[in-house]
Amino acid sequence: MTSLSELALLLVVLSNFVVLGTSRLSACIRAIALQGLLLGALPFLLHPVMSVHTVSLGIGTAVVKAGILPWFLRWAIREAAVRREVEPRIGYMASMILGAVALAIAFGVASALPLELVETDLLVPVALVTVMIGLIVLTTRAKAITQVVGYLMLENGIYLFGLTQSQRVPFLVEIAVLLDVFVGVFIMGIVVFHINREFDSISSERLTELRD
Amino acid sequence: MTLPPLTAVIALLVVVIAAPIVAGVVSRTKAIMAGRRGAPLWQLYADLWKLMRRGLVYSTTTTWMFRLAPVMLVATTIVAASLLPLDGRGSLLRFAGDAVAFAYLLALGRFVLVLAALDTGSSFEGMGASREVTFASFVEPGLFIAVAALAVMAHDLSLSAMLGAAPRPTDATTVSVMVAASVFMLALAECSRVPVDDPATHLELTMVHEVMVLDHSGPDLAMILYANALKLALFAGIIVNVVLPQPRAGGWLGIAVLLGSVVAVGIAVGIVESVMARLRLPKVPLYIAASSALALFGLVLLLR
Amino acid sequence: MTLFAIGLGAIVAGGVSAALTRRARGTTSDLLYQLLVVSGCAIAAADAARVLVSRTALSLSGRSTVPGGDWIVGIDALSAVFLLAVLGVGAICALFGTQDLARARAAHPERAHRSTWPAQLAFALLVTAIALVVTAGSVVVFLGAWEVMAISSYVLIVTHHEEEEVRRAGLIYLVATHTATLALFVMFAAWQSGATDWSFAALAAASPSLGTGATAAIILLALVGFGFKAGVVPLHFWLPPAHAAAPSHVSALMSGIVIKTGIYGVLRVLLLLGDVPSWCGWLILGLGVASGVLGVLWALAQHDTKRLLAFHSVENIGIILMGIGVGVIGLARDAPGLATLGFAAALLHTVNHAVFKSLLFLGAGAVYRATGTRNMEELGGLARRMPWTWLGFLVGAAAIVGLPPLNGFVSEWLVYQGLFLAGEPVATPRLALLGIPMLALIGALALACFAKVAGVVFLGTPRTLHAASAMEGRLGSHAPMLLLAAACVVLGVVPTLGIALVEDAAQQMAGANAAPISAAVISGARTISMMTVSLVVVGGVFWWIRSLLVRERSVRREATWGCGYAEATPRMQYTASSFASPLLSVFGALSGVHVERTSTSLHTHPKDLVLDGVARPLWDRLRHAALRLRGIQQGRLHLYLLYVMAALLVLLAYLALFPRAR
Repeated sequence: MTSLSELALLLVVLSNFVVLGTSRLSACIRAIALQGLLLGALPFLLHPVMSVHTVSLGIGTAVVKAGILPWFLRWAIREAAVRREVEPRIGYMASMILGAVALAIAFGVASALPLELVETDLLVPVALVTVMIGLIVLTTRAKAITQVVGYLMLENGIYLFGLTQSQRVPFLVEIAVLLDVFVGVFIMGIVVFHINREFDSISSERLTELRD
Repeated sequence: MTLPPLTAVIALLVVVIAAPIVAGVVSRTKAIMAGRRGAPLWQLYADLWKLMRRGLVYSTTTTWMFRLAPVMLVATTIVAASLLPLDGRGSLLRFAGDAVAFAYLLALGRFVLVLAALDTGSSFEGMGASREVTFASFVEPGLFIAVAALAVMAHDLSLSAMLGAAPRPTDATTVSVMVAASVFMLALAECSRVPVDDPATHLELTMVHEVMVLDHSGPDLAMILYANALKLALFAGIIVNVVLPQPRAGGWLGIAVLLGSVVAVGIAVGIVESVMARLRLPKVPLYIAASSALALFGLVLLLR
Repeated sequence: MTLFAIGLGAIVAGGVSAALTRRARGTTSDLLYQLLVVSGCAIAAADAARVLVSRTALSLSGRSTVPGGDWIVGIDALSAVFLLAVLGVGAICALFGTQDLARARAAHPERAHRSTWPAQLAFALLVTAIALVVTAGSVVVFLGAWEVMAISSYVLIVTHHEEEEVRRAGLIYLVATHTATLALFVMFAAWQSGATDWSFAALAAASPSLGTGATAAIILLALVGFGFKAGVVPLHFWLPPAHAAAPSHVSALMSGIVIKTGIYGVLRVLLLLGDVPSWCGWLILGLGVASGVLGVLWALAQHDTKRLLAFHSVENIGIILMGIGVGVIGLARDAPGLATLGFAAALLHTVNHAVFKSLLFLGAGAVYRATGTRNMEELGGLARRMPWTWLGFLVGAAAIVGLPPLNGFVSEWLVYQGLFLAGEPVATPRLALLGIPMLALIGALALACFAKVAGVVFLGTPRTLHAASAMEGRLGSHAPMLLLAAACVVLGVVPTLGIALVEDAAQQMAGANAAPISAAVISGARTISMMTVSLVVVGGVFWWIRSLLVRERSVRREATWGCGYAEATPRMQYTASSFASPLLSVFGALSGVHVERTSTSLHTHPKDLVLDGVARPLWDRLRHAALRLRGIQQGRLHLYLLYVMAALLVLLAYLALFPRAR
């Protein structure tokens, strides 16, 4: 099972790079949904022994991260009518190179970290690189939706970290899943903000000005 | 200095003779995907034959550079082929660091072709030359990342070891696949195929490689077309050798594998060309960077 | 050593003769000068060759009453390699330069006596000084020769001092070179404090007792001092303006040889230190990668042929430093084979670069002489009018890009192998492997850049009248170029030759338990010769087939196909700006290009990120600070006497407070 889990982790990294390199929001969302699905599958792949804990964790993660949140995001881009990221503060090429640097740093640092009980030696570096690329996306992109995606990646990285400790601190991961609620709030915020920008206000009282 | 095995010589001859088939396979695949019957597989042979019997037109601005370039292009590509372990065992010319020589021979061919394009003084060909060197500048480091990854796996910087003789680490399957995918994507750029360049385009402003050779005619054009097909065939051989577990069966079987790989990669290129559109030019460096990042990721995995 | 001394004497005599015979007819004076300099170079080179063949070092020392100890001059393998390059390129540049100066004299007869002899004297002194720098065996000789080299280069740079731009370039050069010298003074002083005298041998003996801090300080000071001279990014900013301002044969010598004294200095310091920490190797490797990538990137943005070539010197210094870095990593890791390979790659690239870069500068000089402009956008189509210059330049361009079968390929091939071996599993940080794609990027960008230069300057149709009326000079003017081109071809086709040339020096650098260059590399070098032969054979066969086909077909000559547009003009050709524009735009602000784009025009203005972004503002700050000190200059004598008094008191107080047993 180790090789399958490693494959899943490699795909997680690749999906990070897809988010980093694409300007189409729908592609970003697809990538992040794939990442969620992989994250949901990881507990099964890492701990072949089925327990209520792993099953609930895996299915819960997959449903939230690969189902609900992407759907929510798609709804948000439909509502806000944005398709593409505007040209980001630093170019795609530069962010790609930054991502590659982050990758090198993550793999360089991971072996030096004082962590024990790690199922596969890929888990920690992949978690690190996901956090770092999430931060890059979060700080360099202009559109709020991409920033949400960046936040999701950041959180996925933390989730991966949590997996390394899931045997000892069983509820860490569940708490991490709870963070998704924040994402929901974020997305609501974007849509509301968008309405705000269109109408200069979200106050419903001002809606009365719309009558003729 | 030991004499190279007979199969290495025959493999070189086979790839030199069979290279035009790869163009036929690509166009046939595209035709089938589009629901047409398409041209026969040996269409390029017919084209080459036709061109060889045509007369030539030379621009009055051109110098000897323009006449030399097609010959140099073919010669560098064939000599580069002799550095590859085409039969799966070893190459005709083999030495430490011959991977560098392979890349730089292809670069020499590109250099003279670009100079020939600038020799015409045409702004269209200048534009094509500029794009060609731009994209090549990004493809080259990507290919060398892949070379570094292969060399690390083989503990040797020679193509014969990387693609044939040396055994790979047991857990390197994933990395091999990643490197092969990366080389495939880079080869599409190097050989001017979709999504970087569209060989079938008919608008000068959008062309990259084709526009560079607008002024070549007759036997000169035949040599350039042939060299391009040969280059694609060589990359096909490389890609399949990266994927296959090493060391693999060499010799006569290796030659069969070579032919199979040319067909397989031809089909893959045809499929890519059918399902993908060409990228906008400013997007191409990003595409190449993404392909290189894939190989870099493979290298990082090896080094951890 | 006698031959060496006689040779240098002849070179100096050549310079002096030019000064003495300045009233004689130009040709007589020139002939005497050429004869003395070239024969002097040949005689001195005989000693260097003897050292390489017999493998025994030579040395010569003289007692001196000047403070700083004995004057020692010696030739070991390392010195011999540099000496051969200095004397060879020096002689060829002297030949070319005399032609250049004679032509300038013919063009301006009224200032004939003024413009020629100082340049010839300074050139002779420069060659002598470099020869002494690379053979010096004690600090006083080294620094003395170093300063003569710096000053005579300055005199040569400002040869055309009528022009404002030239004077400014000279000033920037002067500031940079003296900052470098200052760093070297501090370095030698710090080093010598633990040694018995000022000879290099004493410094080497004192090295093991240096603490880690002192060693680090010496290495860093050496990298600053020699880095300025070599033009390492970010200390390169003096180099492009100076090379553009100087006469072409001087640029050729400066770019080919003078900046290599920086490389020589780094190597000599490493050799004298003996035990070098591994971070030093990584630092040098990193500096090499930065210089290489940024140098070639900034070169791409240039439109002035000589500035462009100058930036390529920065790039090639980067490649050389990558080789040295690999060598030092090998030393620190106690891997003698790796150390030898790295240093051999660096030394071979040094020699190769000396050959092809001076070739390219002479080519650019010939173009300048024929057209009066260095701006690429005003040239074009010169291949037809200057076939020999074109051939020489083409060979040089292919060599500097590192294309087989020329010499640049051989040394880059060695650097690649060094980088790969430095990343072998025994090393924990296998970062050296990342140098491989970086070197590939450098090579590919260099290809783009030289396709641009060769294509825009020599191919297509002339863009202006200057270019259309260009004429090839006499045989004398392009013979030096063809000689250098032949050297490029020979060193490339027979790689074992170049490797044998530098092998001893590389082993010397690799220390006591040095290994020879591995058999795999030697056999690889032989196979490269075979590869070249097969390239020629295959090319020949196809050329033959082609000529058979062409003979029986109709060959028409028409205008270039204009895609349906009939009235093509030379102005419609692709320009250097447009050619480089897509590449530069990818690198964004790093490329340092200011782009002006309207719907019908594109202009790119390269600027130097370091000079305009850092050095100039820093200089302005310094000047403002210095102006504040003006108050102490009152111009009254008794005030100055007071200063002297105060200084004396401070020194006495220092001696009283810190008594040292000296």
